[in-house]
Amino acid sequence: MQTLLIDDDFISVFLTEKLLKREGMGEAVRSFQVPQEAVSYLRQTLPDHPPELILLDLNMPLMSGWDVLEALRPYETELLERCFVYILTSSLALSDTARAKEFAVVTGLIHKPLDSNQVRAIHAQVVERRANLP
Amino acid sequence: MSEGAELVNSEERFRSLFEHNLDVILFQDREGVIWDVNEAFLTLLNRPKEEVVGRPVSAFLPLALVPVFHEKLQQAFAGTRVQFDVAVQFEGAEPRVLNISKVPLWVAGAVEGVHMVGRDITDLTASHQLIEQQAQKLNTIFESITDALFLIDWNWHFVHLNHEVERLLHVERAQLLGKNIWDVFPEEVNGAFYQQYYQAMNTGKAVHFEAYYAAQQLWLEVKAFPSEEGLSVYFSDITRRIEAQASQEKLTQDLYRHNQDLQQFTYLVSHNLRAPLTNALGLARLLQAEDAAQQETLTYLETSLEQLDVVLQDMNTILSVRDKQDVAAPESLLLTDVLGQVLHSLQELVQQAGASVVLDLPSDLRVHGNRAYLYSIFYNLLTNALKYRSPTRPLRIAIKATRQPEGEMCLSFEDNGSGFDRAKAGPEVFKLYKRFHEAGSGRGVGLYLIKTHLEAMGGRIEVQSQVGAGTQFILYLP
Repeated sequence: MQTLLIDDDFISVFLTEKLLKREGMGEAVRSFQVPQEAVSYLRQTLPDHPPELILLDLNMPLMSGWDVLEALRPYETELLERCFVYILTSSLALSDTARAKEFAVVTGLIHKPLDSNQVRAIHAQVVERRANLP
Repeated sequence: MSEGAELVNSEERFRSLFEHNLDVILFQDREGVIWDVNEAFLTLLNRPKEEVVGRPVSAFLPLALVPVFHEKLQQAFAGTRVQFDVAVQFEGAEPRVLNISKVPLWVAGAVEGVHMVGRDITDLTASHQLIEQQAQKLNTIFESITDALFLIDWNWHFVHLNHEVERLLHVERAQLLGKNIWDVFPEEVNGAFYQQYYQAMNTGKAVHFEAYYAAQQLWLEVKAFPSEEGLSVYFSDITRRIEAQASQEKLTQDLYRHNQDLQQFTYLVSHNLRAPLTNALGLARLLQAEDAAQQETLTYLETSLEQLDVVLQDMNTILSVRDKQDVAAPESLLLTDVLGQVLHSLQELVQQAGASVVLDLPSDLRVHGNRAYLYSIFYNLLTNALKYRSPTRPLRIAIKATRQPEGEMCLSFEDNGSGFDRAKAGPEVFKLYKRFHEAGSGRGVGLYLIKTHLEAMGGRIEVQSQVGAGTQFILYLP
C-alpha cells in the first residue's frame, strides 16, 4: 500500500511508521518531515501514480497542513478517486474539524495518538476501494 | 451806553437769570425766611409767589429734613459755599432728588443772605441706580454660574472674576483685579493656556481645550470667547474625569494583555503541550511487556498519561469557551431541536439506566445562543443526572421551559437522583474541579462548564438539591 506521511515531528513519524508496520502496512510508507518536499513529490507523481493514503499533520512551521491541502487543490479529482487523506493532529482546536470540511479531499480528522483500531479501519477502507477499482 | 443804563441792564440781566433759570432758586435770610423765589421753584411747589415769600423754607420741608437744611444754611452764613445732594418732597410737590448749592451773598464784608440753588438730578440718580442694579445683577449671575469665570481686557488685565476662580486657583480677587494675567501666573507664559488665549485674541475665534494646571495639579476644561472688551474665560475642574479615563484606559490595556496571554496559553495547551503527550501515549501503547511485573508498570504509565490527557482536554475546552475564538456565531436555536440531539446521542445510556425523561416545553420555543454551548449544557446536565442517579429508584428527569413575560427564557431541569448537600457546597458548587459526590467518576468539570457556557451566552444558573431527594437546576437565558 502506497502511504504518504507528512509530519514535522520525528517522534510522531517514528510512532506512526511503527504502527503501520505492525498492522502490515509498513512496506511502502514514504515519510516527509518537510511539507514542501512532500508537495513537490506529489506534484510529480499524482497524475499517474497517486498514493492510496496520505496522513497529514496540521501544525507545521513554514507550511502548515492547510497550506499543503491548498497546494493540492488542482489535483482534487485524482485524489478523490484514488486516495484517502486523513488529517492527523494533536491539536484539540474545535475549529479544525469545521475547517477540514472545506476540503473535499479530506476523508477524516484523527486526533493523535493514532491507535491500532484506527489503522485497521483505514486499511480496510483502502482494500475495499482497491477491489472496486477497475 | 450811559452808566445808569448799564446798571439797569446788568440788573435786568441778573433778574432774568434768576427768574428764568431751570434750577430752582430762592434767596433767604439767616432765619431761613424766603425773600425771593424764582418761577421754577414756584412750579415745583405748585403755589403762587405770595404764599411763599416771607415764610421760612422749613414750612415747606418734611420735618426730618429741617435740621439738615438749617445746618447747611448756618454753614453758608459762616461764609462757606455749601453743596449737598438730597432726596426731598416739598409740601404739595412731587418727590425729587436735588443737588443743592447754598451761596452766601457778601455785602460790605458781611454775609447778608444766601442764595439756594437746587438742580434736579432725579433722572440722573435713577439712571445711576439702574446701572448699579444691573451691575449687581450681572455680578450675581457671574457668581451663580458653576463654572469659574474671568474677564480680561485687551491688555491682559483682569477686569472681573468670580468666586469659583478664587476657589479653584487659590487666589484672591483683590490681588488679581487690574493686574496682568501673565504677571500673576508667570509660570504659564508660553504654556498651553497662554497659546490658546493668544490664539483666541489674535483670530477673534473662541477656543475650547483641556489643559493641566501644574501649580494646583488640576486638569481644566476651558472655553475662551474673545469680544470687544477682551476675553471671557470659563473653566471647570475635570481632574476626576481625566483620572477616571486614565484608569479606564489602563484597565482596558491590562485586560487586553491578559486576553492575549490567555489566547497564547490556550494555543500552548492545545498544540505545544499536547503534541509530546500524544507521542508519549502512543509510545507507551506500542511497548510490549516482557513479564507481568513490567505489564503492570506499563499499564500504570499508560493510565497516568491518559489522566494527563484528560486534564489537558478539559483545560482546552474551558479555555476555548473563555476566549471564544473557536466558536460559531450565536444563532436562533429551537430548544427542542438541541435537546432532541442530546437525548438521541445519550439514548443508549438512558435506556441502560432505565431512566425516563419527560419534556414539557413549547415546540416553537427558541433561544439566541451558540449551538455547541447549548448542546454541551444539556449534555452535561443529562450525564450528571445519569451519573448521580439514586440506587433505590428509577431515574426520572423532568425538563420544563417557558418564556417569562419579561422575555427571559426559564428552563427547569429536575431529577429524583441522589442529590447533594446544597448548603455544604455553598458557592463552590459551580467551581472547577470541585466534587460533591463521594462515589462516581466525576471530575468536577461539568457544572463549571455549564455555568461558563451559560454566562458566555448572557445567561445564569441556579441549583437546588437535597440529599436523597434529587436536584433541580434552573437556567435563565436572554
